[in-house]
Amino acid sequence: MTRPNLSIATLMMLLVLLLCAALVIYPVVFIVAESFNIGEPGVFPPGEIGLHNFAAMSEDMDVIANTLMVAFGATIMAVTIGFILAWILTRTNIPGRARLERLMELPYYMTPLVGAMAWGILAAPKTGLLNQAWRVFGGGADLFDIYSPLGIAWVMALFEGTVAFVMISAAMKSMDPSLEESSRVMGAGKMHTALRITLPLVAPGVLSATVFVFAEMLGAFAAAFVLGIPGRFYVVTTAIWEATQSFPPDYGRAAALGLSLFAAMVVTLTIAKMIMRKGSHATISGKAFRPRPVDAGSARWLLMAIAWGYIVLAVILPLAALLLTSFQRFATVILFDSVFTLANYQTALSTGTLGQAFVNSLILGLSVATIGVAIIGVLTWIIYRSKIQGRTAIEYVVMFPQAVPRLIFGLGLLWAWINIPIPIYGTLWLLGIAYFTVFLPLGLRTLAGVVMQIDRSLEECARVCGASWMQQMRSVSLPLLRPGIAAAWLLIFIASIRELGASIFLMGPQSKVISPAIINAWLSSSSELSAAMAMILTVTVFAAVIVLFAVARKLTGNPA
Amino acid sequence: MKLVHGAGAMSLAVLLAFPVVASACDNPRQMDGFKTCADVAKAEQEGGLVLYSPDPEENSAKLMEAFHQAFPKITTNFIRLQTGALYQKLMTERRAKVYQVDVLQLTDMGFVLDFQKRDGYVQYVSPEMTAYNSDFKSSPEGYWTWGSFIMAGLAYNPKLLKPEDAPKTWKDALDPKYSGVINTKIAASGLQHVTWYELHTLYGDDYFQKLGELKPRGFDSYVQQFDRTISGQDTLIHTAQYSAYLLAKAKGAPIAFVFPEEGLTLTPGVFGLVSDAPHPNAAQLFMDWFLSVPGQTAWDTISSLNSPRTGAPPPPNGIATDKIKLLYPKDWQAFLATHDQFVKIWAKVTGVR
Amino acid sequence: MTDPRIEVSGLIVRYNDVVAVDNIDFSIQAGELVTLLGPSGCGKTTTLRAIAGLEDPSAGVIRLNNETVYSSAQRRNVPSEKRGLSMVFQSYAIWPHMTVSENVAYGLNIRKLPRAEVDRNVRRVLELVQMSNYADRPASKLSGGQQQRIAVARAIAFSPTVLLFDEPLSNLDAKLRTEMRVELRELQRRLDITSVYVTHDQEEALAISDRVIVMNHGKIEQIGSPETIYNRPESIFVADFVGAANLIKGSLKSPGTFETIGGLHLKAAATTKQNPTTLALRSAYITLQRDADPGSNTANGTIHRRMFHGDFIQYVVDWPAGQLIVRRPPTEMIEEGANVTIAFAPEHCILL
Repeated sequence: MTRPNLSIATLMMLLVLLLCAALVIYPVVFIVAESFNIGEPGVFPPGEIGLHNFAAMSEDMDVIANTLMVAFGATIMAVTIGFILAWILTRTNIPGRARLERLMELPYYMTPLVGAMAWGILAAPKTGLLNQAWRVFGGGADLFDIYSPLGIAWVMALFEGTVAFVMISAAMKSMDPSLEESSRVMGAGKMHTALRITLPLVAPGVLSATVFVFAEMLGAFAAAFVLGIPGRFYVVTTAIWEATQSFPPDYGRAAALGLSLFAAMVVTLTIAKMIMRKGSHATISGKAFRPRPVDAGSARWLLMAIAWGYIVLAVILPLAALLLTSFQRFATVILFDSVFTLANYQTALSTGTLGQAFVNSLILGLSVATIGVAIIGVLTWIIYRSKIQGRTAIEYVVMFPQAVPRLIFGLGLLWAWINIPIPIYGTLWLLGIAYFTVFLPLGLRTLAGVVMQIDRSLEECARVCGASWMQQMRSVSLPLLRPGIAAAWLLIFIASIRELGASIFLMGPQSKVISPAIINAWLSSSSELSAAMAMILTVTVFAAVIVLFAVARKLTGNPA
Repeated sequence: MKLVHGAGAMSLAVLLAFPVVASACDNPRQMDGFKTCADVAKAEQEGGLVLYSPDPEENSAKLMEAFHQAFPKITTNFIRLQTGALYQKLMTERRAKVYQVDVLQLTDMGFVLDFQKRDGYVQYVSPEMTAYNSDFKSSPEGYWTWGSFIMAGLAYNPKLLKPEDAPKTWKDALDPKYSGVINTKIAASGLQHVTWYELHTLYGDDYFQKLGELKPRGFDSYVQQFDRTISGQDTLIHTAQYSAYLLAKAKGAPIAFVFPEEGLTLTPGVFGLVSDAPHPNAAQLFMDWFLSVPGQTAWDTISSLNSPRTGAPPPPNGIATDKIKLLYPKDWQAFLATHDQFVKIWAKVTGVR
Repeated sequence: MTDPRIEVSGLIVRYNDVVAVDNIDFSIQAGELVTLLGPSGCGKTTTLRAIAGLEDPSAGVIRLNNETVYSSAQRRNVPSEKRGLSMVFQSYAIWPHMTVSENVAYGLNIRKLPRAEVDRNVRRVLELVQMSNYADRPASKLSGGQQQRIAVARAIAFSPTVLLFDEPLSNLDAKLRTEMRVELRELQRRLDITSVYVTHDQEEALAISDRVIVMNHGKIEQIGSPETIYNRPESIFVADFVGAANLIKGSLKSPGTFETIGGLHLKAAATTKQNPTTLALRSAYITLQRDADPGSNTANGTIHRRMFHGDFIQYVVDWPAGQLIVRRPPTEMIEEGANVTIAFAPEHCILL
């Protein structure tokens, strides 16, 4: 147990805790208040209170049904993709595994918004590039219609599949090899061992990944927005969006729907946590041996093709489609009729507001990541290494925003901050605060993983040697946390640059940011212009990742 | 050239020919092509201008750029949202006493009257307003002025539809052959509100019952409507903005426009200065510039919209307003009162709820 | 007699409902190496960490160098960094992001000693643990044994008055363990540092300690020198835990005579216990082939099983009271099934 000097440390900690509780809980209060508001929308405190909004959700049954349908479908597809890829890359001996594993991260950096737009270009009925190709090769009707529930689920699954992959492969990697080896020694073949031994052992990891992915799908917005609305297909998030975009706005409906979604997500995330806790004991082995890869034999090339196939579908095809469209004058039916131009990029980078949006996003990314990591570092230490009362409660508070759909949290932030006499509405400051709040869970999760791995005795030894709490933090704890800090910084930076749900409500004329600007362009400018903007965003993110990985490698002194 | 809304109103042609004179400030300053009552030095000192407008981003961006070119010391910013969403954002901000916007454009006269009732506009009589007919500005003048005529008809993709098979009237658009390949705008659009209002007056609820059966897709902006039709995903645009057609045609896109026999529906792009604005002098300067000949010319070149200014020429390749049959409400107050009803009906038509 | 270096009285440590340390008292003189010995969960590590200030006791008093560092009555609890002692951890706790020298110098630097003195001390202790050549190595590249030495060097570098060892050798392989324990004892002797040592390995405890404190379920079973603990255990637990012992059941026939199950009458060492039920006899104190000394207990037996342990042979011998475990030097090789004469002295029969 380590206890800091009561005066400075405790004060600092209490301050940080108060700050985070205020940031997280305060907006939620407004959401709850508005859901009960049946008087004039947006007035705080509400003039009249009632349950009408919740009762009115009976009219939204089809929207809720749509949401569940899409979430289920997307989850099944994402987990299947993730499982197959995890199997191929961690358990078989196909060539180029290491490189493929790194490439698996790319869809995450591409963001669902960009992915949805790209697949809109690829698979729209009649005009989709894939459909055009199909017709050229003699096919009759369209092969795909991306503007459908299946299309939405497909795009969501494609880009969330990489998350499922990471979680499931972590479970597979941490398996005790002797469990499989004893099966093989007793005479069971590869297939038999795989099905009867390996599968049940990784089942908890897979299950928890499934539930986690499902929770994310419930709150997904970008794909449903780009691909659903043209097809008159609404889910809860896009319905909330609709409710807030008319006059008079139906905030009550938005808040009621949002709270139900939030409740559903809390339930599913709790289940995921329970499964994780139960299942992890069975497989984590004390020794640092990885399970031996299974020789895939002649099936090797097929498996490699499947793995590369995912990269093609999730990264190469969409980027190619976007690239092509960004250079077109206007997206025409027949590819060969296209007129190409650089004008879209010129508009994207030059026009005051659009260029400014990139700059704003970069500024926000850099500052939120830097400041955020410092504060989250202290928070992580408080929750996982100190003995302060109520630190588990703090953990729940900080992780709270993860369960609230980003869009709804953005609304709560809007109502919360617009009613404060401090004039930060419409400025980058408000966006910065909003980003920090919604990325607390992300930073905490990353740093917590690293903190847990540091043996307590390393810190205790410093204390016994005479170091005060401050000295111990500075000379032992923080240096050992460096790799985790670098990882958290990178993740928060990327998340900030492409944030959509909260930004869309909180932007002002001088504080535009890139993802909502792309959406705006999609709505009110040409798809060619938005394709150009999407390309610029993706390239920026990729560049940032490469630069930051190189820097991180230098900092920690070992290969990343 | 007849107006649908009954006797007692002067014809548009007559209105355009005889502007009504009003009084501005005592010594308007002569700028390059226009007169202004604004304190230009103060405006440049304020150094900023913020516009809220439902026009497509590209157009507003170019308009702001044009003004900035004329007055380089003033940096411009804008926010684009469809009219309904824009109005809602404005109301949220004002309720919280947050004042960020100088100039407001709304395309739904209902909202304009509502905002005026709430003392949202600040009165500023521009010397340029003399060139606008009293029907196209507030009374007393200076609160809001029509900055453009936004007109809608029908448009289609000539590669998918032969001209002889194309609709000739608004009623023809209800043909079942357009099922699933027809689009409109969403309820937040002022243009859609007017179109509904006028067609409702002509044909009643039954028209929209049938329209809903065609399962039209509702879009936030004309850009999406035209994009999809040009690329062939849809065949017919219902509530097709004439200026959008002109812009697309200029780019060489395959698109054709129909002037329905009943007439084009019309909603104004209404501009006004907002009270408690952060840059009041710059706002006044903008209003003078915008309503003047150079301003309106710049705007019409950018947007292909028609100008309500007396004597203004039509946009490039466009037709002069006095040669078009127009449908628009006589009583804007009555029009305002139908808003909620319209939103509900339109939600059903476009399958939102 | 000088004041004890460490005094622990009435120490109680509770975790939620579990009492890990249940009201123990002991004191340690200057220069002593005292070992806390016992099975897992007996409270020995908790006691050590409480002395170090890494655990918060529930009640009791801990005094170091005549200063009260913990007192529940006075509500006093001096933080670890101010207690002036030093500790070697089971996992060594070598900081991977520093070099060996930086690790060793840590305590010295915290005390803000001048650079020259820091370097001098670092060199001195590295010499003592024979790791002088590794001074500038990154600490992450050391083997287990090397890390252990550095951990010790770091602990003694700033010349603490008290040194705590938390199972420092349990992660090493058997051969290294036996070598290191000798070195540690040498070092402790040479520097004359008061040491508290925690281990579950009774052989280790007997070999290096001045005194041994045997603990079980949070309580102290017996405190004494290694010879005392070995030769005169005061409870069945101590007899069983320390060294190989035969526990023979039976009852007291008359003062000094113990009747075993199976009817053997054995002369035992004097005892104050009223109703002993067990006679404890160390395996090493039994002979099988030699002529018995006069006055010894004797009996006939048959070799049931023989196992060669290298340094000794362990026999399982069938005899009237059941089976006896006997350890003999490797030169005394007896065939399984052979008849033997068992003999052992009464002073080695402890009644419990």
